[in-house]
Amino acid sequence: MIQEHAQEQAQESVNVGEIVLHHTADASEIEFDLIFTHLGPYHLPHWNDIHVGGLTLNLSPTKHVVFMLIAAFLVFVSMWVTGRMLKAQRADQGAPRGFANAMEAFVLFVRDDIAIAGVGKEMGAKYAPFIMSIFFFILYSNLLGLVPYGASPTGNLAITAALAILSFLAIEIGGMMKLGMGGYMRTIFPKVPGMTGAPAMAMSMAMAPIEVLGKLVKPFALAVRLFGNMTAGHFVILSLFGIIFLFGQLEIWRWAIGFATAGLVTLIMMLELFIAFLQAYVFALLTATFIGLMQHEH
Amino acid sequence: MLFSLVMLATSSEEGGLGPFAVNPGLMIWTWLVFITLFLLLRRFAWPAILSATEAREKKIADQLAEAERLNAEAATSLEEHKKLLAGSKEEAQTLIADAKQLADKERDQILSRAREEQEQMLDRAKREIDAERDRALTELRKVAVELSLAAASKLVEQNLDDDSNRKFVADYLDSLGERN
Repeated sequence: MIQEHAQEQAQESVNVGEIVLHHTADASEIEFDLIFTHLGPYHLPHWNDIHVGGLTLNLSPTKHVVFMLIAAFLVFVSMWVTGRMLKAQRADQGAPRGFANAMEAFVLFVRDDIAIAGVGKEMGAKYAPFIMSIFFFILYSNLLGLVPYGASPTGNLAITAALAILSFLAIEIGGMMKLGMGGYMRTIFPKVPGMTGAPAMAMSMAMAPIEVLGKLVKPFALAVRLFGNMTAGHFVILSLFGIIFLFGQLEIWRWAIGFATAGLVTLIMMLELFIAFLQAYVFALLTATFIGLMQHEH
Repeated sequence: MLFSLVMLATSSEEGGLGPFAVNPGLMIWTWLVFITLFLLLRRFAWPAILSATEAREKKIADQLAEAERLNAEAATSLEEHKKLLAGSKEEAQTLIADAKQLADKERDQILSRAREEQEQMLDRAKREIDAERDRALTELRKVAVELSLAAASKLVEQNLDDDSNRKFVADYLDSLGERN
């Protein structure tokens, strides 16, 4: 009976690569495989394209949109509850404790050791809400990918790119506001030390494309780093699961392979858990540092 | 950046880029969701979580500023006190010097006055002694004359107590005094 089933599966010739891509890719439906299969895939509504100028936009909600909303909802609820609990606990003249205390410490770490440490003492507190929001949004999005039936919105290049563009705007507009228009233009057309007059101007003009490229590379790296890390992690986990399918038709060995794979996946999952925090930290820290660098440009 | 990504996205739509496909609609969703989340957190969550810390930080900063101000104040007052102390020391020194000078003068005055008085007293005493001696001498002389006369008149049994005789004896005694 089992043998027959295994052979059947083998005959189906499972395409691991396709499974991996299918599970990491965005989709227009949410699937409840295995245990909740009877719920069937939930089909998200499909909206018509919108034409803005020469662009064709389709704002239909996708799986990643849903998980992004879940992440945002969870961030908001956890932070709101934390704030409420802290207020209540302080009103009792008591020290913060439990969940609220842990979250407060976490938020303060992001504020002090990422935002203020990166941006600088004077402007750090001003940018802290943005840095904290982006940190926790990315963190929760990353963690959602590790939850059963979950998906990482941050494993989607469009979403990481959109976040990186927000960082880019924060960096550049923050710089403009701090340095003034003239000072900001200096970051594109730099002052060349040791040169004056026409040669300095020519040199400055020659440097401009490099400077602009330098500005654009930062958010590009942010977007690709986050996307790559999250996607790669899922690829690894799904590929390891693929091993089970590949060797599923073996007589006895399949059990050993199954257990070995499960162990490996558990280890990789732990690594992924760490990476979920690490990448949120890296994104937030680099954004803060770039904002800080821009603020102190002169 | 945005434009290039969108261009990439639109060109790659259905282009089989796999995981690298960028759906621009998703970017709009991301901005919508994140900015809403950001505004909500900024309004309802971060202040509640950070208020205590920020208040504490502000308090600490205020206290530090206050401490610095007090420190500066203390430093200036210390400087002032030092100056004052130096001034008063000088003043005391001059006061002591003045007093010493005054005392010296006073002592000298008293000493000289005492010496003067002493001299005066000595003088007076000497004069008194002289006068006393003179008076005693005259007295002695008178008594000696009387005694001599009495003795002589007893001796001579004559009326020798007339004035010429008295004068003769006195002259004699005078000559004796001169001889001595």
